[in-house]
Amino acid sequence: MTATHPPRRAFLRTLVAGMLALPLVLGACGSDDAGDDGKTELSFFWWGGEARADLTTKALDLYTAKHPDVTFKKTWQANQGYFDKLATLTAGDDAPDIFQIDDNYLSEYATRNVTLDLTPYQSSGKIDTSKFPEGLWKYGVVDGKLAGLAFGENTQGLVYNKSKLEAAKQPLPTTGMSWEEHIAWAQKAGPAAQTAGTQDPSADYKAFWLWLRQQGKEMYNGNQLGFTAADVTQWFELWKGARDSKATPTADVIHEGNATDITKQLVVTNKALTSWVWANQMPELQKNTTDELGVVAYPGDNSKQWPRASMYFSVFRGSEHADIAADVINFLANDPEAGAILGTDRGLPSNLDIRKSVAASTDNPSMKQTIAVIDELSKSYGPSPTVPPRGHSVVRQELIKAAEEAQYGRATPAQAAEQFFAASQAAVSR
Amino acid sequence: MAVTQAPSPAPTAGPAATRRRGRPARHKSDGAAGYIFLSPWLLGFAAITAVPMLMSLYLSFTNYDVLSDWSSTEWVGLDNYRQMFTEDPSFWHAVRVTITFALIATPLKLAAALGVALLLNKAFRGDGVFRGLFYLPSLLGGSVAVAIVWKSMFNGDGSFNAFLAWFGIEGKAWVNDPDYALGTLILLAVWQFGAPMVIFLAGLKQVPQELYEAASVDGAGPVRQFLAVTLPILSPVIFFNLVLETINGFQGFTSAFVLSGGTGGPVDSTLMYTLHLYNKGFTEYQMGYASAMAWVFLLSIGLITVVIFRTGKFWVHYSDSED
Repeated sequence: MTATHPPRRAFLRTLVAGMLALPLVLGACGSDDAGDDGKTELSFFWWGGEARADLTTKALDLYTAKHPDVTFKKTWQANQGYFDKLATLTAGDDAPDIFQIDDNYLSEYATRNVTLDLTPYQSSGKIDTSKFPEGLWKYGVVDGKLAGLAFGENTQGLVYNKSKLEAAKQPLPTTGMSWEEHIAWAQKAGPAAQTAGTQDPSADYKAFWLWLRQQGKEMYNGNQLGFTAADVTQWFELWKGARDSKATPTADVIHEGNATDITKQLVVTNKALTSWVWANQMPELQKNTTDELGVVAYPGDNSKQWPRASMYFSVFRGSEHADIAADVINFLANDPEAGAILGTDRGLPSNLDIRKSVAASTDNPSMKQTIAVIDELSKSYGPSPTVPPRGHSVVRQELIKAAEEAQYGRATPAQAAEQFFAASQAAVSR
Repeated sequence: MAVTQAPSPAPTAGPAATRRRGRPARHKSDGAAGYIFLSPWLLGFAAITAVPMLMSLYLSFTNYDVLSDWSSTEWVGLDNYRQMFTEDPSFWHAVRVTITFALIATPLKLAAALGVALLLNKAFRGDGVFRGLFYLPSLLGGSVAVAIVWKSMFNGDGSFNAFLAWFGIEGKAWVNDPDYALGTLILLAVWQFGAPMVIFLAGLKQVPQELYEAASVDGAGPVRQFLAVTLPILSPVIFFNLVLETINGFQGFTSAFVLSGGTGGPVDSTLMYTLHLYNKGFTEYQMGYASAMAWVFLLSIGLITVVIFRTGKFWVHYSDSED
């Protein structure tokens, strides 16, 4: 055996050397894309379904066609897990150059300087917001910095089951009903149509927020809560009354509606005649049912509704190609051809000219209806609130928890309100 | 997730075993060769287990928030731990939910596994098929798909209630009712008894037949045989399964995550410890706090395992031991 030693050692030495060298070799392979040959590759990350992926890919390919030096590394996935991944990439300083974001997280990212301030591009005209409704682009401003370019507009929309209501010879809900009128309507219409009248939106932050604005309050004043525990109690009491009068389904069905995605909303599963959603979700809801749906504003004074940016595109602070990235999002928002490709998939186009031409060319009836309703409502919009602060996603979760405590009868409206108020205050002041 | 995930106890056999005193020099090079062949594993262990673990230990003393630049991360000492124990009611709630889950699910799962293993231990036509069928759920066990199926089965209008309706029983909205949601998770865990069952089966095959013969000559019936022969001889296997399944039980995450859509709802009834930890890290961006939670979790599971090991002295019998 001794005779075999030297060759074996030599073999081992080679092996070790190889292993030590391996990372170097791999590192060399992974070296970066850009620059040398004048070509630039931008990474672009969004969430959404198959359809949005196709449209986005087409629009980006159009940009490449016009700017052959710029190509894209496109990544997309379902909403579930998107922000986990984005956060992880950011933690590794490897966030995409351009990424999609919404107002649940915009402040979280902006206040931690993950997003590039786009204000200089806006003031130099490289990002053009002149055709945007003012409230809409301003809804992307965090601490005085333009953190994201609003991509698509929507507003609160109450979607109702038109077929069921007509079959039961019940009046359709209309824009401008008061909250009490809405509940009284649901109390009558529900039994007539043999289902629950209206989904209980007490866990729904957008309904609560609008209701607050109608009471002259706000959800947030800067980084502070704009309401008191007494306001929440009143809101929870309103819906306790509705549940007690059987205008809404039972707590477990309400929870089912709260906990599921758009395809299982109660108006689609026929467990209630209404669902409280964003108006631009109406065509998606319509796809999931054979009944005909309609959409109106939320109850109460609808001038308190606001143009919500359904989502934004932001540029990563560490992007090495910030100028090109800014040009890309400007292209997606303002180029008529890109606008025609993207359509209303992310909400109504922000650029009003493009919105007009898209509205004229769509042949989807529920899309037409949605655009008509949002356009109608946008005539009466008052001032918009500011984009929700850091901690907003926690506040939303806490509202669901507290509202459900009240729905299941585990707490009185006042107790649940106290709990929500305390938890929200902790979340926004952290 | 690698940063916060509590790793299962690493095997203890390691370098120490190869470094015995008084070995001839020749064996040293064998040792070196061993290390070289181990090196892919060692590198992997260092890169994806040891370093992230140490990192998470460090992070647990900071206010790291994932998104900010490293420069704004501050050392906060024991603050995360203090907050956890004194200021976070959800933490204690999650602890209660997790203990309830593990305390109920683990014994039921082991009982189911042992019961079915006893049935399958008898030779009959097609026993292999049955073994495979019973094992299948635990293969699929952690998967998201099974949890989604479970969710629709136990919905208010799901197939489980349709089944109950056959017998004239009116079902509940199982997964949407805070009184029952955790129960459905426990049931799902118990249903995945395949892995311990296979181990029990292997253990049952080891019981010497002559002991049963001797027992039956002495007049022992089936129950008596089970208590006096099967259980004592099987006790090391029971012990092994108990340790593993207890650890599994405490780490339950996927099913709770899927059934509640990540929230632990309805009304926090399924807020497992791991789910709370995940939400702290990835919804609230308090990764330092989440890391602290992970370490408390690791230490707690370690402690529970030690306790089980201690009690083992009183009920685990090894047939080859002297006493």
